[in-house]
Amino acid sequence: MSGAGFENLKALIVEDNAHMRSLLRALLNSIGVKDIAEAAHGQTAIELLRERKSDLVLSDLAMKPMDGLEFTRYVRNHENSPNPFVPIIMISGHTEKYRVEAARDAGVTEFLAKPITAHTLFSRIAEIVERPRAFVRCDSYFGPDRRRRAIEDYAGPRRRKEDMQEVDAR
Amino acid sequence: MSKINKRPPSQKGVQLIAPDSYPQIMGRQEAARAMLTLRSAETAARAQVAMEAAIPPMRAAILQYVDEMEQAAGDTRKLFETAHEIRGFAETAGLITTGRIAEILCRYMDDMTRVGKPFDTAIIALHASAIARAARAEEDDVRMGEVVAAELAALVARRLSGTP
Repeated sequence: MSGAGFENLKALIVEDNAHMRSLLRALLNSIGVKDIAEAAHGQTAIELLRERKSDLVLSDLAMKPMDGLEFTRYVRNHENSPNPFVPIIMISGHTEKYRVEAARDAGVTEFLAKPITAHTLFSRIAEIVERPRAFVRCDSYFGPDRRRRAIEDYAGPRRRKEDMQEVDAR
Repeated sequence: MSKINKRPPSQKGVQLIAPDSYPQIMGRQEAARAMLTLRSAETAARAQVAMEAAIPPMRAAILQYVDEMEQAAGDTRKLFETAHEIRGFAETAGLITTGRIAEILCRYMDDMTRVGKPFDTAIIALHASAIARAARAEEDDVRMGEVVAAELAALVARRLSGTP
């Protein structure tokens, strides 16, 4: 069963710290991913995405000259993006709420807080494999559906700004 | 103004693209096999080996960051960047206390920057000093532990082989 299911997967690691890149590569190897490209920041990652197909991206947040948010926005929204739907797991020590929300709003698929463990990384990969999310396209956003659960018979408060405007207008 | 009603959430101008309408990371059969791989004991064992192999170079890197952090005294931007690197993988490298103190320092500096207030240099200096002491002490503990473990293992091996 060694590595079954992942043998054809192509991964891209975007991380400015060589030690973290090495650890992430080793963890991906341990589930059977062999084809792994590495970039130290977003700009190189975009070039690599153009040169070779990638099925999964693991990206750091804070990098120079292009950080993980800018990279994600490019992948999701730029007209020349090679794959706007590619799953992106953002891995960062910046776990403040506003940064996590910024990552979500940029269009990341999953967020993983450092320090990482094999268990937490694999659980994010499992989410992507087992429960792929719908994508949403609207004026202000393109990316994975930011709602984790769709509640068909939801009868609680409607908190979206446009919902409030509708109710106010009545 | 009532905020409660039973209409579905507004979908104006929103296009929902279902997972089966765009390319997935892998096919369904591969996904089923992949999930077994992710949950297998064999994978967990391989991952454990990978994590353990990463620890010595990470520890060395953290001690280097600690040196850089001490040299960066006064350069708060550099100090924040270095503390951020330390908090990123100190715990992965087994330097638990070091990682936690770096986390507190990063949160303090991040919050102060966000609200536009100046840093208290005493708080930063105290944290930087604590990070350095914790990293070196934890590293010493680990080295001491490794030496003791190796000596005990050698003693047991000698006894088991009948060597006095």
